[in-house]
Amino acid sequence: MAKSFIRPRLIFRPVPALLAVFFAFAAPGPFLLSAADNAPPPAPLRNIVIDPGHGGLDVGAKGKFGTLEKDITLAISLKLKALIEKTMPFRVILTRDKDLDVSLGNRAAVANNNDAQVFFSIHANGSVRSKSHGAETFFMHINASDEETRKLAYLENSSSELDKRIADEAQDEVKMILWDMAQTAYVRQSQRLAEMVQEEINLELGLENRGIKQAAFKVLQGVACPAVLVEVAFISNPEEEQKLGDESFQQRLAESIHRGLVRYLKLFPQK
Amino acid sequence: MPKSARAVLIPVLAVAACALALFFFLSENRESIKKAPAGSGSPAGGVEGRLDSRPKRTVTLLFLSEDSESLVPEEREIAADVPAVEARQIVAELIRGSQTGFLSAIPPETKLIQVYLDKEGTAFVDLSREFADRHPSGSSAEIATVYAVVDSLALNLKAVKKVFLLIDGEERETLAGHITLDHPILPDLSLVSGRQ
Repeated sequence: MAKSFIRPRLIFRPVPALLAVFFAFAAPGPFLLSAADNAPPPAPLRNIVIDPGHGGLDVGAKGKFGTLEKDITLAISLKLKALIEKTMPFRVILTRDKDLDVSLGNRAAVANNNDAQVFFSIHANGSVRSKSHGAETFFMHINASDEETRKLAYLENSSSELDKRIADEAQDEVKMILWDMAQTAYVRQSQRLAEMVQEEINLELGLENRGIKQAAFKVLQGVACPAVLVEVAFISNPEEEQKLGDESFQQRLAESIHRGLVRYLKLFPQK
Repeated sequence: MPKSARAVLIPVLAVAACALALFFFLSENRESIKKAPAGSGSPAGGVEGRLDSRPKRTVTLLFLSEDSESLVPEEREIAADVPAVEARQIVAELIRGSQTGFLSAIPPETKLIQVYLDKEGTAFVDLSREFADRHPSGSSAEIATVYAVVDSLALNLKAVKKVFLLIDGEERETLAGHITLDHPILPDLSLVSGRQ
């Protein structure tokens, strides 16, 4: 079982999300090393993590005609994964590749344990207003209380400095808060990524530009890389619900997110 | 021997059964007594009884409209009181819904359990599980719900600097799968119509 994980061919096969999560925790290091047969090990592929929102018992928002957010998010995520792997030197890891429950914390952990370069969470929007329509790309709104902000200031110090300045008994708590707020350090890059993705979706679908939005999404909070959450359309809007079930509409959305990613990576080449 | 054993066993069993019945009866009673005061916390229940004796003040409540992407204001009168009591009335009136045909961001089955206000300006708004469980889910819907409560309190009460939303007395990770509830939430008045 474990051996099959280090084969690069794995990326073309669906990985059970639960195993991926488990493996991400268990051994992130060797997971990344590709071992092509009879060849010197090439530079390891960098990872992009795509998170299809919801899954399993958590169906997400529901449409009038019975469309479930969890099904739409998975369909678009699979199309985006295929596009990225076909055209870019990245390995794409999904937080789930079938109808499974995955906790929000574990979704962020998949990104962090695989040293993801970019994290996309794919969602379909729901509103009380049935007229709400269009795509919206979000990045994390840091809603830090004063106390947390003070603790986050320690980020600016080196880690040895950090150890000296915080009493032993407080260390665990501070580290927990830092982990919980990992996205704080990437907000600016996340904003740029959100802008580019939203622009591409607007162009593709001929939507008016309503800008990008910020909100306190739990799934983005702990992600330690540029991360955005794309609400591709409103499932609560009957007209958009119908479109969301259409494969070619899903493909157009995946292609525009992909173009946004390509533009972003030109601006912020990889380390 | 078996006869005398039966003679002893039957009364013993009968007594045990009576004791059990009595125990369940009492414990049920005790529970209903315990629940009674909490259950009667029908939103502004206790508050309303005293409404008449207090001066009134006008507050702005936030709802949704098909015609606006922002939260829309609706004015309403509540009894002027200390901030914690006013906060309770504001949340109770929000749950009651709009009187002018706006959409409510809060599931109508929601019950207000309590609102506490601490010295640092955090309002702890404790709502029944229907607030989350009956929520339609969806990012926009959740953002609207959270800020209808947070901004309605912050708009009307200077004492409220941030709001911690609790469900049945406990923290929740998210409202319905999207927006974080595990931190106190700062108001965002840019979401309110006419207040960019």
